[in-house]
Amino acid sequence: MSTYIISLAILIGINAILAVTLNFILGYAGIFSLAHAIFFGIGAYTAAIAAMKFGADFTVATAAGMVISGVISLALALPALRVRGEYFVAASLGLQMLAVTVFSEWKSVTGGIGGLIGIPPVRFLGFDVSDPVLFLGLTIACLALIMIVIRALVRSSFGRSLKAIRDDETAASALGKNVALLKTLAVMVSSSFAAVAGSLFAFYLSFINVESFVLEVSVQIIAMVIIGGTGTLLGPVIGAVIVLLLPALLTYLPYLPPTEIGSIQQMIYGLAMVLLMIFRPSGLWGYGQSQDRKGDAP
Amino acid sequence: MTGDILFQADNISKTFGGLKAVNDVSFALRAGIVTTLVGPNGAGKTTLFNAMTGHLVPDQGSVTFLGKSILGLPHWKIARLGVGRTFQDLKLFSHMTVLENVTTATESGSWLWQTGGRAAKAARIERVERALEATQLVRRRDTRAVDLSYAERKFLSIARIMASGARLWLLDEPASGLDRSSYDRFLTVLRNEVTSGVTICIIEHNLDIVQSISDRIAFLDQGKLLAEGEPKTILSDPALAAIYFGERGP
Repeated sequence: MSTYIISLAILIGINAILAVTLNFILGYAGIFSLAHAIFFGIGAYTAAIAAMKFGADFTVATAAGMVISGVISLALALPALRVRGEYFVAASLGLQMLAVTVFSEWKSVTGGIGGLIGIPPVRFLGFDVSDPVLFLGLTIACLALIMIVIRALVRSSFGRSLKAIRDDETAASALGKNVALLKTLAVMVSSSFAAVAGSLFAFYLSFINVESFVLEVSVQIIAMVIIGGTGTLLGPVIGAVIVLLLPALLTYLPYLPPTEIGSIQQMIYGLAMVLLMIFRPSGLWGYGQSQDRKGDAP
Repeated sequence: MTGDILFQADNISKTFGGLKAVNDVSFALRAGIVTTLVGPNGAGKTTLFNAMTGHLVPDQGSVTFLGKSILGLPHWKIARLGVGRTFQDLKLFSHMTVLENVTTATESGSWLWQTGGRAAKAARIERVERALEATQLVRRRDTRAVDLSYAERKFLSIARIMASGARLWLLDEPASGLDRSSYDRFLTVLRNEVTSGVTICIIEHNLDIVQSISDRIAFLDQGKLLAEGEPKTILSDPALAAIYFGERGP
């Protein structure tokens, strides 16, 4: 396999983790967050600092990122205790803007605009896994593990309660569901797992800066989830594959000047989203979602 | 025990802006019977339900369930104490299946697993199956709520409250829009539940239903409780009838 394809596969895997974890709150709990890139960033910065300053390996650095991301996600989750729908979207947008400012201005920790350079090669359980093929294996293993955990959560009473909240908060609380607590936990779980993607990203590139965690990234992750299919397990993975493969495929099209590829990509995204909302509002995988629902038992 | 006071509201008032939606209402719900709240539109019936279930906090008054104050408790806590309710607009979990709608009602905790082990799980499954059978939704168990007919949706809202194990059911216009056969089936389900010890309070406009299901009737108008008593007494009162049909205020 060429280095380019492996690199693309790794980035798809990392983005699939982001899409799957966002889908956990967006698709199953109905929480529309514009701040998912923040937790990606917190995971990346924490892992990078843990590895650079304390020599932490992938496990420890990722665990640290998950904990910090989970704790900081309370800043997003706490508004969820009180607000619904569009108010939460606004709150998440505010947090996204705030976090980007912190990432770019807290130079002593994040390196500011220049970012953190020289993140050491990744070690996992004492082994060097910086070889691209091994790193791809690590990425796929992380994605698979996260998907297994999320599948278990969704099929549990916790998942049923989240879906109930998504469909009708008032009715859910009338059945004894502590809506605020459940939403908070869902945001914490989602944010913690998003930090795993951040850790993989930091170790893979060995360089990070604020540009990778801006609002556009949050919007791109939302696009992956919606294109693939919200509330489905595989949909976000498919969405991540499509969104990341598209620009790669465009570069192979003849007669397209490289300088215009970015604009054409944006136009195709926009057109694809509009067509999807008209013809397949449940996303590309959304029509198979009844399969996810079967087999749920008390 | 049948006849004991299960729920008590004393001097409840609730004002929205300048409008007194509920005005100094006191009444009790006795265990094992059906009490119906009747009155013209805007009488304050749903507001009273909301105050009883914690969806609204009354401006004044006290609310007790099983002798303990539930005033100011969040509605999910009141629900866990055994006060269940349905809504005029049903509020089903539209994109969940019938089975999921009913199953989630049996799960008081919302963690990865439920407490109580296999015995509790078997009991929950039995509650789900019993609710589905009683409401004749067994064959629709894998259908999403949004794909059900109107009558089936009504029965799903009943199946959900049934599975929740609530001791007190507050049903907001549960039979509106039902055809005759569904309506008969609905009354049978409610009667069976009352016989098994459930206490029911219904908001209902259809006087046929009120007459056939009620053990007691509370009549509200403009936020005030005007009368409470046996159906025969309340329904034969010409002054209340005049108010109900909009002919004259008291």
